[in-house]
Amino acid sequence: MGNNKILIVDDDPDIREGMHVRLKYSGYDTCFANDALSSIAAAAKEAPDLIILDLGLPEGGGFLAIERLKAHPTSHGIPIIVVSAKDARANRERAIRAGATAYLQKPVDNAEFLAVIRGALRESAPADSQNIAGIVACVHE
Amino acid sequence: MKKVALQVLLVEDNSGDARLIREMFGKERPGSFALTHVLRLGEALILLKKGGIDIVLLDMGLPDGHGLDTVRRAHAIAPGIPLVVLTGLDDEALAVEAMKEGAQDYLIKGEIENRALPRALRHSIERQRMQSETELIRAQQMQFKDEFLSHVSHELRSPLTAIHQFVTVLLDGAAGALAPEQRQYLQIALRNIKQLDSMINDLLDVTRAQSGKLIIEPQYASASDAIAYAVNTLQGAAKAKEISLESDIEHELPMVCADPTRVRQILVILVDNAIKFTPVGGVVRVLARPVDDDPNLLVLEVSDSGCGFSPDVAEQIFERLFQAPDRAWAGRKGLGLGLYICRQLVTLQGGRIWAKSTPGRGAVFSFTLPVFSLTKLIAPALRRERRRDRSIALVIAELSSETGWLSDEVRAECCHEVRDLLRRCLLSDLAVLLPRMGSPGAAELFFMVVVTDAIGSETIVERIREQYNAPEGVSRTGLTLAASVRPLEAIARSANESVDIFLEKTSNALHALIDEEISSRMVANGQQ
Repeated sequence: MGNNKILIVDDDPDIREGMHVRLKYSGYDTCFANDALSSIAAAAKEAPDLIILDLGLPEGGGFLAIERLKAHPTSHGIPIIVVSAKDARANRERAIRAGATAYLQKPVDNAEFLAVIRGALRESAPADSQNIAGIVACVHE
Repeated sequence: MKKVALQVLLVEDNSGDARLIREMFGKERPGSFALTHVLRLGEALILLKKGGIDIVLLDMGLPDGHGLDTVRRAHAIAPGIPLVVLTGLDDEALAVEAMKEGAQDYLIKGEIENRALPRALRHSIERQRMQSETELIRAQQMQFKDEFLSHVSHELRSPLTAIHQFVTVLLDGAAGALAPEQRQYLQIALRNIKQLDSMINDLLDVTRAQSGKLIIEPQYASASDAIAYAVNTLQGAAKAKEISLESDIEHELPMVCADPTRVRQILVILVDNAIKFTPVGGVVRVLARPVDDDPNLLVLEVSDSGCGFSPDVAEQIFERLFQAPDRAWAGRKGLGLGLYICRQLVTLQGGRIWAKSTPGRGAVFSFTLPVFSLTKLIAPALRRERRRDRSIALVIAELSSETGWLSDEVRAECCHEVRDLLRRCLLSDLAVLLPRMGSPGAAELFFMVVVTDAIGSETIVERIREQYNAPEGVSRTGLTLAASVRPLEAIARSANESVDIFLEKTSNALHALIDEEISSRMVANGQQ
């Protein structure tokens, strides 16, 4: 089985490079986009397994990117992890509502970063309905 | 420029007093004042709501309003319109009180000197205008400060993130093996990066605390986890000073209703301080236990064997920018915001924080947190539902972790809580509940806890709706969503159209109410 591919969307080239090195070291392939608009094209072209997205993006901002990515049929099912310097408490809820899977605030602890990526990749398998059944059942118990 | 007449509203039920006032205005230049006279507060409130009034002359003894209450009601309807209170000679103290409630001035009936009335009115209007202007400027400045700090912190964080990334990349060996000395230096760099990051966070938190925007997301949280986190995080710093950092947690400690990130933040600040003020070879201890005389509270304590502080600063140390005198030996000064933030965070979570010390014999910092109670969380829902006979309330208390992935133990524990609640509400499971929902006169409440992360919660609400909206023989009379923890609010908003009532975050003083409610239901249903 090939490596999982992760699309990194951030307008800061240093941060893109840093994430790339980290992810490569942990066995992931990476590809890049540097603004909201090109993230949609990149997601369609590269078909990544997961997207890491900054919020303060040029060309529309991160929230627009999440909405577009979630509305697009090819990228609809790809989990999005927001990694932003913006305050998590003020923005997490909005990002999650727009369709993001998780919200991490920069600077991100490496172990947490990787754990959230693994978790999101696992969850993106079609297990949603099973989860709900499990929860209803546990109340039934 | 043509002067427009000042619109004066006189609220006075005594015709003699009203006539005197009218005569005073009569002496003024025509067209400078336009007087509207009403006899009751009710009429005045209607006129104020309509607008167009410049100033109100208000008698405090009206047929439909007495004393300070008249001022409060008028001020509430039109906070921007100046009020001048009319009072009798023996009521001057009351008039002074009225000014605290928002009146601009008072005039004593029978004591209004020649031409003093128009002057008092003009001054009141001017004062009100200046007051509003000051408030506006203050609000603008606050907003500017907020935006500025938010911008600055974002701009500071981005390069810090890049530095953090590359330092950790090097430390992880992702760019080749490191010599011990290189590793040591990088670790020093990383420690300083973390310090800088937490200083940026502190600055932001303080700004937010001052503008009342400090966000707390209380949920089902473990105090022991928070302690373990703080001890782990600072173990390195303790070791560097050969300080023994220990934790002592009572077995079967109850869960708390708190924001886990904030509890960790408080503990990290306290433990970090303790290490700073404890000499080499000392001891720092963190403990948690239930409060002896209040089972609804848990106390967390950080004690050290350091230099302590003089008892007369025990309160002051929680003030903003407080710096201990003569602490050069304790290393860097820091921003002096840590304990201030601690106090804000503890208070916002319904706890209390205090410190005790004997100089030279160490210090103990203690704070309390409320013990988690589902019943407490949903009490307001019960209160609201009391009025709705024959309705079913679906109360969902979602327990969610920040990024999801709850452990099986947490799930099991939550399920236990649900079962307990269902049992107490005479609804042992859903199979029992469903027929009850359909039976005539059923005014039962349905409690349910959804344990999930943020991913599936909307879908779950949808599911619950489908499942319980129109099952055979069951009529849906009401569907209530009770929001008690923050993530649930998001669901509630998204599900807003499908629920009858959306309840805001709960207050935490209604514990007794739910017990009363449940026991009355038990009696009504003839079951125990």
